[in-house]
Amino acid sequence: MKKNIFYLIIGFVALLLLAVFWYSVENFTPLFSMVAFIAGVLVIYVAYRRVEDYIEDERSARITEKAALRTFQVFWVCFCTFSIMAVMNMLYMPRISREHWFDRQSLPVSLEIMSPKMIGFIQLGLLCLMIFLYVGFRFYYAKKYGEWETDEE
Amino acid sequence: MKNKIKVYRAMHDLTQEDLARAIGVTRQTILAIEKGKYVPSLDLAFRISRHFKVNIEEVFSYDENTQADAGK
Repeated sequence: MKKNIFYLIIGFVALLLLAVFWYSVENFTPLFSMVAFIAGVLVIYVAYRRVEDYIEDERSARITEKAALRTFQVFWVCFCTFSIMAVMNMLYMPRISREHWFDRQSLPVSLEIMSPKMIGFIQLGLLCLMIFLYVGFRFYYAKKYGEWETDEE
Repeated sequence: MKNKIKVYRAMHDLTQEDLARAIGVTRQTILAIEKGKYVPSLDLAFRISRHFKVNIEEVFSYDENTQADAGK
C-alpha cells in the first residue's frame, strides 16, 4: 500500500468516527462509539503495517520517541495537577470559612469548584490538547534533526 | 561528531539517495548526518563505514564542542 492511500484511510476513519460519535450522542449509545473508536484504531494499525514505501529508520524513531517523551512529561504534570484538584473537589473537602474562624458555632462550608461533569469535560479537553502538543513536539524535533534540510543535490 | 560522509560519497560517486538505500535509511537521515544535525547510533555509523570499506574512525571523529549541544 502507498503512503498516500494510508493517509486517505486515516481521513476516512476519522470522518466515520465523527459520524458514529454524532449518532451515539443523538441516541445515547456510548458503547457504540467506544467500540467504533477501538475498531478505528485497529483499522489504522493494520493499514500502517501494510504501507510499503515508508522507511522508518533510527532518526524518525528518535523523533517519535523524543516527541512522545516530552508530551508525556507535560501530560502527567498537567493531568495529575488537575486530577488532584478534581479528587479533592469530589471528596467535598470542607473549607474553614472566615466566619467559622470567628464564630465556632457556624458550620464549615463545602468547597465545590466545579461539577463532576465539568471535570470529565476538562480531562477530555486536556487529552485532546496533548494530541496538539505531540504534533507540536514532532514538528520541533523533526526540524531539529534536519527533516526539512535542503541540499545542493 | 564530525564526519566525512560527503567526501567518501564523492570518492565512491554515490548520491545521498544511493547511500541511504544501500544502508536502509532515508535520504533525509544521510543529509541530517552530513550536516551534523543528527548523530547516528554506533550501529548506523558502523554500517556507513563498512559500506565505504574503511574503519569507523576514518569517517567519524569525536568533536567535544559539538557534543556539548547534542544532549539538549
